[in-house]
Amino acid sequence: MPQQTRPSLDDPRISIPAGSEWYEPAPTPQTERQAEFLTLKDGEMFVNMGPQHPSTHGVLRVVIKIDGEKVVDLDPVLGYLHRGVEKLCENADYHQAICYTDPLEYVSSLFCEAAPVAAFEKLMEVDVPRRAQYIRVLTMELNRIASHTLFQGWMALDLGGLTPILWSFIERDEIVDMLAALTGQKLLYNYYRIGGVNGDLNHEFMSRLGTWMSRAAAQIDSNLGLINENELFVRRTRGLGVLDAKTALRMGVTGPNLRSTGVPYDLRRDRPYLVYPELEFDIPTRTEGDSLARYLVRIDEIKQSIRIIDQVLHEMPDGPVMAKLPRLIRPRPGRAFGAVEGPRGVYGTYAISDGTDQPFRMRIHDPSFVHLQLVGPLTRGNLIADTMAVMASLDPVMGGVDK
Amino acid sequence: MDSALATLLATKLGERLLLPVRQRFDETEIRVSIAHATETLRILHDDPILEFEMLIDLCGVDTGEEMQVVYHLSSSRSSDWLRLIVPGLERNAPRIASATSIWPGAEWMEREAYDMFGIIFEGNRDLRRIYMPDDYRSFPLRKDFYLADDASRSPAAGVRNMERAGTPQDATPATALRRTTGA
Repeated sequence: MPQQTRPSLDDPRISIPAGSEWYEPAPTPQTERQAEFLTLKDGEMFVNMGPQHPSTHGVLRVVIKIDGEKVVDLDPVLGYLHRGVEKLCENADYHQAICYTDPLEYVSSLFCEAAPVAAFEKLMEVDVPRRAQYIRVLTMELNRIASHTLFQGWMALDLGGLTPILWSFIERDEIVDMLAALTGQKLLYNYYRIGGVNGDLNHEFMSRLGTWMSRAAAQIDSNLGLINENELFVRRTRGLGVLDAKTALRMGVTGPNLRSTGVPYDLRRDRPYLVYPELEFDIPTRTEGDSLARYLVRIDEIKQSIRIIDQVLHEMPDGPVMAKLPRLIRPRPGRAFGAVEGPRGVYGTYAISDGTDQPFRMRIHDPSFVHLQLVGPLTRGNLIADTMAVMASLDPVMGGVDK
Repeated sequence: MDSALATLLATKLGERLLLPVRQRFDETEIRVSIAHATETLRILHDDPILEFEMLIDLCGVDTGEEMQVVYHLSSSRSSDWLRLIVPGLERNAPRIASATSIWPGAEWMEREAYDMFGIIFEGNRDLRRIYMPDDYRSFPLRKDFYLADDASRSPAAGVRNMERAGTPQDATPATALRRTTGA
């Protein structure tokens, strides 16, 4: 009897026969770019990352072409979280459409609501009461802080630091609980309505906010000490994934990723909405455009958001929080584009009304989708481990990318 | 509303405009034909006075009779959003030139418009499905694609299997790519 040896996976004679249920034919390239990607040069190989991978911030699959430890090229595969939100919105009425947009970017869902609400309000030609505008600014800035503190923890986690995420969740949990007291939901708030907000500020929210505001700045600063002065973190991110302003504009980048290249483009200043023109705040920018700059711009934005909240709390007027509107929203036929500046960039909604109670077409633009395109160009030539650092610094959320 | 932008666009674009410039709230809307689309985008991007450097959004629209491609642009020189509508794409074979030569970042948005509407962007190097699986045959955002629970509206009175991803038995390769499943 011949001796049984365990087959080695390196043995070139081992192959899966074509009839086997495990057999999968090599993919046929459909496009010029894919053909280029699928052609392996000498010494190159493919590595699959995801869809369940802790560093991809959701269900993203990335096929990486590597040469040794160097990334030659990569191809993100999307769609694992695709729910067809645009189609669902076309088959729902205007109020229902708002709550479908909540789970897009579950980290900062108030911004996903704010964009369609802004578009619908333009279609309806309705003026939002001033108190409702202040409440929207207040809750959006709180949500921005919650999103950025989580980013700060995530970024450190992707680089191998386990502690900061626990610290950043202290702030995020407090804000989430605060907003839960106001809206009744912890994650998918569904708080904005066409023409206002759902319910005025309540006592629990205000008392929690007051306590938090008195220690927020100091607490966030002390959390930053964990990361900003960490030499490993700084040396791994400085000079990594450098993006220049011209490329950023041509790639359609917005938000902190664009501002880290030196372009001071912020919708709160350039296309003022709500009561932002009356508030005082700075637009933090950096000129380096590397991963560290993208991180630091977001940290500076947290401080500006606290400043905005402080002003809003002092200037908030009394009054109604909802405009007078019919219960059934039936805008006149027309088109409108509403956009807000979110923690990741420009959230836009293009809504077409045909005069019925359902949007005829509702296009949702999400900044993460555009930013994910940059992962390929920015990581080319770097090490595999740096792919995570670049991806984390671009801060994509897959719920928004996949829609 | 930026009325200076309206006159500027009218002089710069001239007879390329299909309709006069329309303005409402902070939006300026222009329409050009498919043949002039790339040229117009190029003028809007390169002109030193207009300087629409940012492509904020690109999407397809199915009106039921024709397809449209809609661009939303932003410039630091104007406080308005510029909406460029390119109407009149044929529903059975929608084709338009790609904007990736001006904005490489339009690549994925065009892939999405192809995935959802079947619009072919000539010149896009990577025009394939982005959300749906590669063997998927329908274009979900087209108006003749009905949701399963919305079947009462369908012409076939509710017999439509939306999850059937394979090619219909009677379809030739050409029609299979252009028609929604079982339509």
